[in-house]
Amino acid sequence: MPKLTINGQEVEVPAGTTVLQACQSAGIEVPHFCFHERLAIAGNCRMCLVEMEKSPKPVASCAMPAADGQVVKTDSAMAQRARKGVMEFLLINHPLDCPICDQGGECDLQDEAMAFGFDRGRFQENKRAVKDKNFGPLIKTQMTRCIHCTRCVRFATDVAGVSELGATGRGENMEIGTYIEHALTSELSGNMIDLCPVGALTSKPYAFVARPWELRKTESVDVLDAVGANIRIDTRGPEVLRVLPRLHEDVNEEWLGDKGRFAIDGLMKRRLDKPYVRVDGKLTPASWAEAFTAIAARIKGLDGSKIAGIAGDLVDAESMLALKDLLTGLGSTNLDCRQDGAKLPAERAGYLFNTTIAGIDQADVVLFVGTNPRLEAPLINARFRKRYLMGGFKAAAIGPSLDLTFPVVQLGEGPEVLADLADGNHTWIETLKGAKHPMIVVGQGALAREDGAAVLALAHRLADAAGVVRDGWNGFNVLHTAAARVGGLELGFVPGAGGRDVAGILDGAGSGSIEVVYLLGADEIDTSKLGKAFVIYQGHHGDAGAARADVVLPGAAYTEKNGTYVNTEGRVQLGRLATFPPGEAREDWKILRALSDPLGHKLPYDNLAQLRQRLIEVNPRFAHVDEVVPADWVAFGAAGPTGAGPFVYPIENYYMTDPVSRSSPTMAACTESLRATVSQKTGTNG
Amino acid sequence: MANFLTDYLIPFAWILGGIILTVACLMGGMAYLTLFERKVLAKIQLRIGPNIVGPFGLLQPIADGLKLLTKETIIPSGANRAVFILAPMMTFILALTAWAVIPFNQYMVLANINVGVLFLFAISSLGVYGIIMAGWASNSKYAFLGSLRAAAQMVSYEVSMGLVLVTVLLCAGSLNLSQIVLAQSHGWFGVSWLPGWYVLPLAPMAVVFFVSGLAETNRSPFDLVEGESELVGGYFVEYSSMTFALFYLGEYMNMILVSAMTSILFLGGWLPPLNIEILNSPYLGPIWFVLKTIFVLFCFIWVRGSFPRFRYDQLMRLGWKIFLPLSLGYLLLVAFVLVYMGWLPKVA
Amino acid sequence: MAFIDRGARSFLLWELLSGMALSFSYMFKKPVTVNYPYEKGPLSPRFRGEHALRRYANGEERCIACKLCEAVCPALAITIEAEPRDDGSRRTTRYDIDMTKCIYCGLCQEACPVDAIVEGPNFEFATETREELFYNKEKLLSNGDRWEYEIAQNLLADAPYR
Repeated sequence: MPKLTINGQEVEVPAGTTVLQACQSAGIEVPHFCFHERLAIAGNCRMCLVEMEKSPKPVASCAMPAADGQVVKTDSAMAQRARKGVMEFLLINHPLDCPICDQGGECDLQDEAMAFGFDRGRFQENKRAVKDKNFGPLIKTQMTRCIHCTRCVRFATDVAGVSELGATGRGENMEIGTYIEHALTSELSGNMIDLCPVGALTSKPYAFVARPWELRKTESVDVLDAVGANIRIDTRGPEVLRVLPRLHEDVNEEWLGDKGRFAIDGLMKRRLDKPYVRVDGKLTPASWAEAFTAIAARIKGLDGSKIAGIAGDLVDAESMLALKDLLTGLGSTNLDCRQDGAKLPAERAGYLFNTTIAGIDQADVVLFVGTNPRLEAPLINARFRKRYLMGGFKAAAIGPSLDLTFPVVQLGEGPEVLADLADGNHTWIETLKGAKHPMIVVGQGALAREDGAAVLALAHRLADAAGVVRDGWNGFNVLHTAAARVGGLELGFVPGAGGRDVAGILDGAGSGSIEVVYLLGADEIDTSKLGKAFVIYQGHHGDAGAARADVVLPGAAYTEKNGTYVNTEGRVQLGRLATFPPGEAREDWKILRALSDPLGHKLPYDNLAQLRQRLIEVNPRFAHVDEVVPADWVAFGAAGPTGAGPFVYPIENYYMTDPVSRSSPTMAACTESLRATVSQKTGTNG
Repeated sequence: MANFLTDYLIPFAWILGGIILTVACLMGGMAYLTLFERKVLAKIQLRIGPNIVGPFGLLQPIADGLKLLTKETIIPSGANRAVFILAPMMTFILALTAWAVIPFNQYMVLANINVGVLFLFAISSLGVYGIIMAGWASNSKYAFLGSLRAAAQMVSYEVSMGLVLVTVLLCAGSLNLSQIVLAQSHGWFGVSWLPGWYVLPLAPMAVVFFVSGLAETNRSPFDLVEGESELVGGYFVEYSSMTFALFYLGEYMNMILVSAMTSILFLGGWLPPLNIEILNSPYLGPIWFVLKTIFVLFCFIWVRGSFPRFRYDQLMRLGWKIFLPLSLGYLLLVAFVLVYMGWLPKVA
Repeated sequence: MAFIDRGARSFLLWELLSGMALSFSYMFKKPVTVNYPYEKGPLSPRFRGEHALRRYANGEERCIACKLCEAVCPALAITIEAEPRDDGSRRTTRYDIDMTKCIYCGLCQEACPVDAIVEGPNFEFATETREELFYNKEKLLSNGDRWEYEIAQNLLADAPYR
């Protein structure tokens, strides 16, 4: 624990910290551009110069390890002069185009220039101009503004794990680029926009749209994957203009996947903004009362067993509970929140990411079973890569070949490899057994199969055989793809006694034994199998479910309601209302509460507080917001014969997985560019 | 039949013609009085005044009249309709009626009655009713307060005005306005060409009469009745279009009437400024009379351009505590002098 | 003596008469007002009248949608929406000034880095309806075209003091 003196103040910091971090821990601001605590140290902007005793020159504090007895001065005349000089050098080539720069108002260089900039230029020569690069549909470049801090390069190389960015040339000819011009292939590329301290990398969809001071900021959570990244929603009027990550060390650190960040323009497209009722085979606009009357006329007097409900992937726990209470009141036990038919058990340990996301940092061996975390949960994949960079980390996968940005041993493609491992017939079991903190990550690709329950039981057996679950360490994980899934399982939105699951409901609807199907934002089911059933679709986008529906009830998207979401590790998080639902659309639980009246089973809650109380009654864990309650290790799954086919990963196109991202023009552009890259690869690779 | 023609029809036609001529002149005079006032005030305030409508703004009154005519008459929903409409008509008619007894020269008078002064006094006292009716019928607090003020103010100043009139009566010995004018025709101090107007011997009374006239007609500085700064517009706040125009007309008519009275009572009516033969022609009489009236009107406007508005308590104090004792005392003084010096006029 | 003097003045209405004499004397002075629609007073180059959006000499609009005027406007009268134009440059798609909100403080022209939004010398823009006072970009640009010469002269005259 080195002790040093900063501005006459004694500071003790952990070994390995830099002088700059020591200053920060003492509450002293040191201006910097290239330094970022989650990236490797580069020390090339020179803005963080401080005076240090016994050093003839000012030292770059970001690259200087804190050591015992250092005496640092950050506000001495020497340090100030050094900063002013560096700032003047930085501004030699940086264009003074702040008025047309999207970074204006939230620009590090602008802020520091206000503090250390000179009020006129002494540079009479021509300024440098750099040709803009094409970084794909998400990142807009203005490379003349680049100050070569290389944060983006280090992020791409280290965190995102794609070595696509780099600097070419030296001195004044230095340029940041992709060597050969192509779109970035990372799912985390949006974070470079946040990292860039100037306006060189800005958001393309958000280009020139708004200034930071115009935006209203709402803290919420992302629901476009099951990680539950903490986000800040920036809105102006009724529009969600951008989404930025919020710091949460245990979930997303300070990163955010591109889908959660950029799919928001889908929130303004293809929205359901008024109720519809199908009249003579055509959906026609109706009033809420008409829609409710149509539903009541169909449901009144119908036996509960002929009614079914399916919850979608983006639904908040409150509305799922309201639907569950409503359908239970009508006598139905046909409920399911597992649209993809994944055989997830009722036991908590069998559907949670038990290790927790922060726990990945300790893992040393990991086995992926039927999952591609890079597409299913890029932020979790980034954690694995971070762990890999720390060294002493081995990963293996069962399933088709993968590119996870870190080396993965491919053990095989189907459940038979898993069986071999569990039975000890595969040599890799020794690696797992020998690990200190082993992890098994089971994906939806392994569970959403006919033999899903058997695969799960196999994985459980393997976990037991390899000692993956031990005292103080639970290495068994299920990685979800849907934000609503864990919430639905936690409150029991699964078939009750004698109830049917998704496949059963679809069969029943086809054969006529299910007459009414209530789709709560469920778009990923095969709607052609719904047969002649009366379909009520409640959701926010005109996607597959709404197209088949007989009555459409317009609901609220995740930015438009206060809802509770449970992420894949079982962390309860609150999403908050940032804008109001468009047109006549309403918050989902309110719709269900209003509908329960004409159906004769009035739900007993009139406001969100009462509903949350009921949620906690159903499952007390909902009271523990932002906490992970560990699950007991019990038996789950159903042992039985497994099928032969290889695992199929649930997500093929990261950019289009749900109604919001499917409606998003930006995501469409990403898909387009992805296809271009893929076809290019096949073209050259033969 | 000839008798009927000569005895009734021709006099009637004469009278009708006289009335129409008088009213027409008055309306025209009143219209241009507004322009005159605006021009004079503008001059005093170093402005230009209306100058867009017609040469030197001469058509401005016509434009104003047209504007008021074409506007919508608004009757407030809470108003008493009948009284609301009657009030401006009453004000206007009373203002016109008074002119029946005003002599333009020795012969030009519509009704040369013996009690002209009394008639004038009665008619001008009635004028307050129009205002009270307007204030009450409007069902508005501003109008009501305005009319309350008007009633108190007009009643107060009528007292001293009456005493001034009595003083003049004492000197002239007649209630007939023509006689009063003629009583001022002989010169003073035995110099025949000096005008014998009452303004000289009764100077304080003339001032009291003039000031009371300002108060009677609710003119500045006694225009608390309108008091736009606190009462918005006083008793005619709710009036618009022609009903408003009638009030406006009535007010200016009263102004002219008081000016005419002042010139008859104190400035020798149609008598020329110098009592010499060439100026004494009966044809010049109306001109002298009109010139004197215009002078008094100018004074009205001049006063408006010079003084700020009185406070209400100051107004009442002036009426009751200064003018009443002053005019009463001067009346007694005049009576005493007349009796003592034996200058009492011979009553015919 | 003073008592008599005061009494005499009071009884002879001396103050009133001298006041009236003063107002009478003013009748013969020259009017200080100008005959407005036909004559106009001088305007300072800094006069802040009706707004205008200027163009460069080549016809390109100056405004770059930096939104500084919108941010600085104390009356929140300015509304701007922007997006990249076809050539990739930053331009407004909407530039509205609610002239009924505007307080003519001139902060927008102070904030403008490219002298695009200016308050010109025109103050005669009364309208018959409120709606006509909700200026849009088209109206502001046409104002700029109409008043360009005067605005440019005013800016030139004021330039040494900025």
